[in-house]
Amino acid sequence: MKKYICPICGYVYDEAKEGVKFDDLPDDWKCPLCGAPKNLFKAESVEVIVSNEPEEELREMNYGEISALCSSLARGCEKQYLEEEASLFTKLANYYNSKAAVKGDFKELIEKVNKDLDLNYKKAREVASEKEDRGALRVITWGEKVSMILKTLLDTDIPEDKKIYVCDICGFVYVGDEKPEICPVCKVPSFKLLEVERGA
Amino acid sequence: MSEVRAVRNLRLCSKDCLCLYVCPTGATDTETGQIDFTKCIGCGACSKACPSGAISMVPYKYPKAQVKDELVVDRLKRIINSKVEQEQIAHYIKDNSTDEKEKLLAKVLMRANRLISEDLYREAGYMLPQNKNTKDFLNELLEKDSTNKETIEKLLTLIDFHE
Repeated sequence: MKKYICPICGYVYDEAKEGVKFDDLPDDWKCPLCGAPKNLFKAESVEVIVSNEPEEELREMNYGEISALCSSLARGCEKQYLEEEASLFTKLANYYNSKAAVKGDFKELIEKVNKDLDLNYKKAREVASEKEDRGALRVITWGEKVSMILKTLLDTDIPEDKKIYVCDICGFVYVGDEKPEICPVCKVPSFKLLEVERGA
Repeated sequence: MSEVRAVRNLRLCSKDCLCLYVCPTGATDTETGQIDFTKCIGCGACSKACPSGAISMVPYKYPKAQVKDELVVDRLKRIINSKVEQEQIAHYIKDNSTDEKEKLLAKVLMRANRLISEDLYREAGYMLPQNKNTKDFLNELLEKDSTNKETIEKLLTLIDFHE
């Protein structure tokens, strides 16, 4: 008995629970959560190899990180209807974003997202489980799923005739004509899936 | 002063206007659609009367955030470092590529990676803007960079921080 995982939304097909072997499912079977085709599913790898090489100390925050923290706090203020505070944090976020710059190409992006999936998320999950921090496990689960989608996007061509939506809560990316009713990763209703305009 | 105030979720509001009828101070009737916080006495009548569940009562003072384990925070920050770097690389590609497809993909990656980092920060001790971590962050930022002195100082006065 094996588990098969949807690389798009992270849905797990558990043969033990379903009672039907994954191979015996029809070829046109699709992910019940996000509609990904059967052939994209991958068997769960059993071995979790997390290297234990010593790591460098965390460095000081750079401008990009300062910007991300400020935009996160702006959202926090918005949720509490603290408009002035939210706009001040947004101002800071924009300022530090304009100062942040890292050169790079798609090859580096693929390397980095692979490292996140192979190492960073696994290590984080290990520690968060040990400390029983379910909030951290939540953000790790969502982020890992979205990272899988970003990896898939980096590997494929976006069809010209399809629309692209990004979930404004978790970052899930949907490519297609009609967006799903809820985000398959964080389950927020579809009005939070925002279209990314082409051009500009 | 009351400990709570009413806020209206404009997306849920179905304009049944019961909140206008029951509000004893007229706080629910405004040109912006939001409740006038200066008039709201926190009685909760509007929230109870609303048939759409569009009005919630929120506290002025939020309870302290959950304390995060240092090791968990360290792991989450390492993911943030990577995601922020990916956002920046995507930004560079978006600004420098001439290929429309590449630009589009870069734009998507920028947005998704930013959302992931923001969410990670929430779980890394910055869930509540009122948390002491936010205060420490702003003070350090003030020391490091005086360009935004006014904005940072304003935030430090406006936010009701936990000690």
